[in-house]
Amino acid sequence: MPKLVIEDLHLRYGPVEVLKGIDARFEEGSVVCLLGRSGSGKTTLLRSIAGLEEPYRGAIRIDGRPVYDAGARVNLPPEKRDLGFVFQSYALWPHRTVFENVAYGLRLRREGKAEIAAKVQTALDGVGLGALAARYPSQLSGGQQQRVAIARALVYEPPVILLDEPLSNLDAKLREEARIWIRALIKRRGITAVFVTHDQSEALAIADQIVLLDGGRLVQSGTPEDLYERPETAFASEFMGSNNTLTVAVEERREGRVRVALDGHSLWGLDRRQGPAADGSAKAVIRLEAVRLAEGPGENRLPAAYETSIYLGSQFEHLFRCGDQTVRVLSDRRATPGPHWLECPPERLWVF
Amino acid sequence: MPRALRIAVVLATALLILSPVGLVIYQSFLSGPFFQPASTFTTQAYEFVLFEEDDFREAFVNSAVIAAGMTAIAVPLGCIVAFLLVRTDLPGRRLIEPLVLVPMFVSSVVLAFGFVVALGPVGIVSLWVKGLVGAIPWYLYSKTSLILIAGLTHVPHVFLYASSALRSLGSDVEEAARSAGAGPVRVALTVSLPMIMPSILYASVLVFFLGFELFGLPLVLGDPERIIVLATYLYKLTNKLGTPSYDLMAVVVVAIILVTLPLVYTQRRLLAAANRYVAVKGKASAQRPLALGAWRWPATGLIVAWLCVTVVVPVAALVLRSFLSTWGEGVSIWDNLTLSHFRDLMGYPNLVRGILNTLLIASVGGALSVAFYTLINLALHRWRSRWTALMDYLVLVPRAMPGLIAGLAMFWLFLFTPVLQPLRQTLFSLWLAYTLVWLAYGMRLVSASLLQIGPELEEAGRVVGARPAQVSRDVTLPLIRAGLIGSWVLVFVTFVREYSTGVYLLSPGTEVIGSLLVSLWGTGAVDLVTALSTVNLALILVGLGLMFALGNKRHA
Repeated sequence: MPKLVIEDLHLRYGPVEVLKGIDARFEEGSVVCLLGRSGSGKTTLLRSIAGLEEPYRGAIRIDGRPVYDAGARVNLPPEKRDLGFVFQSYALWPHRTVFENVAYGLRLRREGKAEIAAKVQTALDGVGLGALAARYPSQLSGGQQQRVAIARALVYEPPVILLDEPLSNLDAKLREEARIWIRALIKRRGITAVFVTHDQSEALAIADQIVLLDGGRLVQSGTPEDLYERPETAFASEFMGSNNTLTVAVEERREGRVRVALDGHSLWGLDRRQGPAADGSAKAVIRLEAVRLAEGPGENRLPAAYETSIYLGSQFEHLFRCGDQTVRVLSDRRATPGPHWLECPPERLWVF
Repeated sequence: MPRALRIAVVLATALLILSPVGLVIYQSFLSGPFFQPASTFTTQAYEFVLFEEDDFREAFVNSAVIAAGMTAIAVPLGCIVAFLLVRTDLPGRRLIEPLVLVPMFVSSVVLAFGFVVALGPVGIVSLWVKGLVGAIPWYLYSKTSLILIAGLTHVPHVFLYASSALRSLGSDVEEAARSAGAGPVRVALTVSLPMIMPSILYASVLVFFLGFELFGLPLVLGDPERIIVLATYLYKLTNKLGTPSYDLMAVVVVAIILVTLPLVYTQRRLLAAANRYVAVKGKASAQRPLALGAWRWPATGLIVAWLCVTVVVPVAALVLRSFLSTWGEGVSIWDNLTLSHFRDLMGYPNLVRGILNTLLIASVGGALSVAFYTLINLALHRWRSRWTALMDYLVLVPRAMPGLIAGLAMFWLFLFTPVLQPLRQTLFSLWLAYTLVWLAYGMRLVSASLLQIGPELEEAGRVVGARPAQVSRDVTLPLIRAGLIGSWVLVFVTFVREYSTGVYLLSPGTEVIGSLLVSLWGTGAVDLVTALSTVNLALILVGLGLMFALGNKRHA
């Protein structure tokens, strides 16, 4: 049985429809990323799960128990849902010490004094802050505050923890470390985590399941590999990774494959169109790293004129021109001016 | 806070706000006092007051003229003072700035007494000038003097809004004008002041509105020449026809509220507009003061002169007079210094009670009022609901009620409501009236602190398992504690200063310094009035000192 189920969830702010019917199920013990641009509804969905926003239709169930169900008129207040929540700004209470911040949830659950002290200490040790219990939040660095916020959300052992862009206030180096230890911490505890981010590389790194949202709707849900390698829509394919998006003319469709023309050259690609076939022009997407520099003409290759390069450190990014369209290619070799051949493997050229 | 409790608080507040007003409106349509069963519904009182009563018309015209006149004086002067103190290198501006607000903290009857003692026909300053030039070149009890004094004492209100708007204005716009060849005066008139126009407009309407509310100044300064304004007309009406004419008083109250309510509503609209305007270009980075050059000394002279006339002279003369056994032409100050007025003061049980009551209502009562304002604010806090919008409009009503009127309405309410009757002659009635009169002010003080708290701090409390009431207790209130203490000090000073609200509620047991001063002035007991005023000033000074100490601590 899935841990967390969301059914046909609708929410609006005044006249603006923010969530337009979200259906999703999250398995026990998995780390789920809600991914999307700003305004996609990902934070609103997270806050709805926590009970901080009120949807008007649909249902949210945790362990089969409805915490919100419009049909049954169930809407538990946040404090009855027994969840952990880590805010983007951390929301540590500035008038309480680190210990008191973490202990508050236990005090509300009327635990004994000794038990509270022990649990808080364990939680703080778990995030590597055991020695800082007596400090006030203002005396901590951003990274330490984030750890306190996580300890505060985990200390009363909620079955589900919700994190709203918890890494966005950290600098780049700290962010990369944090996503590794947060994932390790959640996995060690075996709890279900729902994690909001707008950063696709963060989502790929941290998640067991990614839920991609756009404009208040669910675009695609699956493993990071599913989303990166098998995007179902043009939006999903373009949102993940770095891509070349090309306008092509459809020539022939056969058994899930499609032959398209780009600047007069034919290429085979995967037919990813949804709904009825529209003839004429289509959108082809290929990841930068999928395009290969080839020595000469051949199957699924097309001629291109070299324009310029930028050096990225680990490799080069070259810019080529095919007719009136540009194609970017990653390569560990320098390229020289003049004509080149680019190979686009058919299984990695997606035509929508 | 649970929804049911929120609604209960809103309803209770609405009841507190609307029942006195409702009673006054009800009374205005009766032929006699509301407690007389023989009273019938009629519009007689309206017909009499509005069409037959010449004094009312005169009072109304006077109020309008004085309000307009004082606005014409206070607004330009307030803008100039704000510009000089905020945007220029005026010498000593750090020292002068806190002094500018002092007239706001002194009760206007006390200031009026000060003007009489200093500049009246036998005033201390008047006689000194007479000794120098042979005559007194002014007459304090004229309408012109009244307008001038009202204008000068309301400069701080304009200063407050103009200076905060100027502070949020980038100085680059002024520097651009300077480098294009404009002098400081031109910069002020053509660049800085036009850019803060919405705030100035708001302050103008505020001062005009306060002009309609004037009570202490015209009561003291207008009386010798029988210059009446709306508030003093109402005050005099109590005794004018021998018996208290409830119906007529009610009509006058309704008339005053009908004038002030639109003004309050306009202020609300203008304030929203002014805030929007400031927010658009709130680029307050690195303000460099404008060099005044040769203008610095005349500018300093102007502000010092204003301060002297408005604060230093009346307050100093008043305090001095309270230590003089007698005063008149040919009396020497040094030979007549005495403490006897203060000793006399202690001999009157009602005056001693007045001082103690003032302290009690300002400290304990002030704290209770702040608690009440906090309760209302918490009830409305983060609540998207029609009830919140309703409350927004409801608080306009007490703002439109001058203290005198609110006190009268509260007095009637306590007479009218059987359960409240036994409480009428207790401090509770007075406290309730004070709390109502300063409701809008106090709520703004508290909400300013609440606005500082990020919503996620409270949401974090809910998510870890706290009920709304527990979040209020454990998160919200501790976070605004400093703000609440600051609000309490401001309310303390405000309650010490208040004089008009207690006038109708004055009875044995409910005396406070302010209402005692008003009634003592009527009896002509100058010695006692000046001594009691000095006590009042001392209490206010304590409050201001407390405020200063708290302010400094918060900076540290």
